[in-house]
Amino acid sequence: MHEVSIALSMVNELARIAKENNAKYISAVNLRIGRSSGIVIDSLKFAFDAIKLENPLISSAEIVIEEVPLRYECNDCKISFETDYIHFPSCPDCKSYSLKLLSGDEMDIVNMELEV
Amino acid sequence: MCDTCGCENSHEHPLHSPLTKGEVKTVEINQSLLKANEDAASHNREHFDSNGIFTLNLISSPGSGKTTLLEKTAEALKDEFSLGVLEGDIETDLDAERIRKKGVPAVQLTTGGACHLDSVLIHKGMHELEHQLNGKKMDILFIENVGNLVCPSFFNLGEHVRVVLVSVPEGPDKPIKYPKAFKTSHVFIITKSDLLPYFDFDIEKVKKDALSLNPDLKIFVISATTGDGMGEWFTFLRNKLKSPPPLRGGD
Repeated sequence: MHEVSIALSMVNELARIAKENNAKYISAVNLRIGRSSGIVIDSLKFAFDAIKLENPLISSAEIVIEEVPLRYECNDCKISFETDYIHFPSCPDCKSYSLKLLSGDEMDIVNMELEV
Repeated sequence: MCDTCGCENSHEHPLHSPLTKGEVKTVEINQSLLKANEDAASHNREHFDSNGIFTLNLISSPGSGKTTLLEKTAEALKDEFSLGVLEGDIETDLDAERIRKKGVPAVQLTTGGACHLDSVLIHKGMHELEHQLNGKKMDILFIENVGNLVCPSFFNLGEHVRVVLVSVPEGPDKPIKYPKAFKTSHVFIITKSDLLPYFDFDIEKVKKDALSLNPDLKIFVISATTGDGMGEWFTFLRNKLKSPPPLRGGD
């Protein structure tokens, strides 16, 4: 349910930036959410679409979310690979658990499109 | 009459009428969704550091024994250190009342439905707590988060040390089911160890799972009922108070 708090604070932040830019409306907002960020994309969309209705500046904004895959580099054999195994991933080649996260923990607002 | 919704007056319908004509502009933002909370957390952290307050954030499922641990800690350390407690709950001030009965100032933060504490609430709570302390310095601040192993792990409160608790009756699969809580914590306390003979709780496997997620976790096994393991917890707190400010998380 943290998605509701996150959506609330996102709407406030978007409204602030839109006002700074003298926008009439926000038409779209683009996010990048990693596979292992712990954010449920459908819940975040649902919360955003409910909360945005309270603010005319944002009420017509479309939320576009790019899901970023979980990628690691193996510290032992140096190969990089993609996985869906969030909890205890290991290298598919040498089975090592010593891994460096390359992507997958993102929870970022990338940009937004405004009508000015 | 308005063509879109049928109401009396013609007016703008941003929901279903197009955003036309105006100029379209893309504004790059590139910031974390949690930025507002992170900013408030940095503010809290500065306050803790500049006032020499060692702060811990306790997270667990409901019923793991957070409040009982704090009651026992208050009994043991309140004459040695100046303690303060912020109690997070959805409703009631039952927990703050339990702490106050031990002679330690406590402020109840009721979230009114939200499943976690955030840094803005902590900021407000701190001011209330300092009001109660009436100028007396605080050495250790315990923040008892809302009982929930999911959402609190997203919200940095500015604490030095995050403590995750699991009680023996909850079962051994908590670390692998809630990895984020264990990945973001510094200390892991297994509570109600006096019940180990009655539950199928493989303590070595639980420790191994937690350490696979976070090799730096410091693990305590305690029973507030029998007092087992409590001494090590108190020693940990005493040692933390010896380290020079700004205090840091970890070992």
